[in-house]
Amino acid sequence: MPIHPKRAVTRRRLLIALLVFAIALLLLSVPKTAGNAQAQTKPTGVLRIRVRVKIGEATKGLQRKRFYLLKGTLDQNKAVLDAAKQKTLVGRDCFYSRLGASQALIDWLKAADCESVYCRNIESEFITGPKAVPEFATAYAAGVKEFGADVARKWLTTNLPTQLRDGFYQEQRNTLQALMKQAEVTTGSTVSSVMTDRNGTAYFTDLETGTYVLTNLLATEIAGNATTWNCEVQIKSGDIATEKPYMVSNSKDRNVKCVGVEKPLPACSK
Amino acid sequence: MRTKIRNLKTLKRLLALLAAVVVISIPVSLRGQKRPAPRSTTIDYSKFSHSTKKHQGACDTCHKIPTSGWQKVSGIPDVNDFPEHQACVSCHRNQFFKGQRPPICSVCHNKTSPRDEARLPFRNPASQLQFTIEFPHDRHQDVIALLPRRTFYSSQRAFAHVASDDNAYNNCTICHAQKAQPNAPKNNWPDAYQPKEGTFKSAPTGHDSCFNCHWKSQQPVAQNCIGCHKLASSSFSPIRTPTRISLKFVHDGGGEKQVHVKECTTCHINITKSATLRGLKPDVPITSCTECHNKEGLRQDVSKELAAIDKNRGFVCVYCHTSDVGVKDAPSSHYLIAERPPLKRGEIK
Repeated sequence: MPIHPKRAVTRRRLLIALLVFAIALLLLSVPKTAGNAQAQTKPTGVLRIRVRVKIGEATKGLQRKRFYLLKGTLDQNKAVLDAAKQKTLVGRDCFYSRLGASQALIDWLKAADCESVYCRNIESEFITGPKAVPEFATAYAAGVKEFGADVARKWLTTNLPTQLRDGFYQEQRNTLQALMKQAEVTTGSTVSSVMTDRNGTAYFTDLETGTYVLTNLLATEIAGNATTWNCEVQIKSGDIATEKPYMVSNSKDRNVKCVGVEKPLPACSK
Repeated sequence: MRTKIRNLKTLKRLLALLAAVVVISIPVSLRGQKRPAPRSTTIDYSKFSHSTKKHQGACDTCHKIPTSGWQKVSGIPDVNDFPEHQACVSCHRNQFFKGQRPPICSVCHNKTSPRDEARLPFRNPASQLQFTIEFPHDRHQDVIALLPRRTFYSSQRAFAHVASDDNAYNNCTICHAQKAQPNAPKNNWPDAYQPKEGTFKSAPTGHDSCFNCHWKSQQPVAQNCIGCHKLASSSFSPIRTPTRISLKFVHDGGGEKQVHVKECTTCHINITKSATLRGLKPDVPITSCTECHNKEGLRQDVSKELAAIDKNRGFVCVYCHTSDVGVKDAPSSHYLIAERPPLKRGEIK
């Protein structure tokens, strides 16, 4: 029996529509898994930095300092690096001196290269006696009333004025946060950050391959100088086991890949 | 007629294809999903949950910080007791006076008897955890560093070898002291190997590590509970037994020369960038060990065991590992350190 031409056309259309729907469904389900597989196999690299600084005749690892890795070239990050340069470095001693901190507190911080009071244990000898830091003595006295003598010493920082406690760190942190945000907006990538260990070594891991800028963003205070590092590095696919250290220093040497720019610290105006 | 039959066949084939595509495109997770069981309407009042909407008010509605009379039970001002009756009774009067032994009492009390006021320890170690902790290691690394020459913890002796050339600054040990004797896992340690004292570091379990700085004015302060405690999606059991790939590594005073460890961040390379505890891994690369343990003219601990696998593919690596790990293929990083191409045990004849 012959099929009516109109019905034949409708059936053909239905077949085509079904076919298109099936293909679309198949296509929709494929990219996700393919994308995931691609993401899983994306090559990553490692940057192992070793920061050594020359102070007088001695060279030693720069410990406990943060370094940042900005995606892109020096040119692409020019705006943020310029903005960082504009920030006037206020030295630690100057910061606390401006706050009216006692010389004893400044010396106590300086003795262990501390940026905040959290950096060291506050021993009894710094609360009473000839080495006493007046700010600690006052906070301790308040703590004794509040918690008793034993807790008062261990919890001494809870009774210190906020600015004296960690104002220097917080001020730097706020500036760094703003710079990092600017960098992230410019490059569209997250800024990685690590802190050096006691030997001046730090690892950036799981990095996408490509060009980056290794920087300390805000100048680091080293022996009365403000030192800034801004160096372009190429991250290639690699493993932590075979990664050779990328040498960073404040003085030139044949092994040093990134040499810092040193400027004298600005005079401290009260 | 033939055309019609052909069209029908094509239609059937297409429908089969369509069905197959639909099945393929449904995510596996959805296919395996079971229908949620109908909720029981009976409430178990012997169990308290913070996930109940009405239990999510301001924390200090129920918990007083510090608990009144803290001096009697604690060395520091702390939250170390259950809330008072009024915190519960305002809504649960009916449950409080239900029968001789109201189940609701057992949330806080040892015995469900109006004559016995003894309470369970707070928090009750037998109960599951309901909150996760927010702790940014990166920020804390910024404000503290290395070790003090003397602290109120006892783990310092192991660091004596480095104390002379160090600055007297704080480091991770102010929170992660030496764990005296780790709890054995349910099925005991692999090979019945008993980890030595000093193998593991402890993690803070109370407020004492936090309140010494965060009691007041330094956020999140003691009153700001949600600054650190986030309600978990479901209750969970705390990890009581640490896991370790290299169980034989000893943190404090380990090694023949007792030179473990100079500084935590030397080996835990990602800790200074961790803004959260979620997804935090120990992240110790093999290079942290092989700086000493696989150095030409010094020691060849990794290379020696890889060579032993070459001779006998059933060799179990035991220098760092227990047999559960030591029987596996050595990861490529180990071969790279030994300056050799990676190899699987199955490839060795």
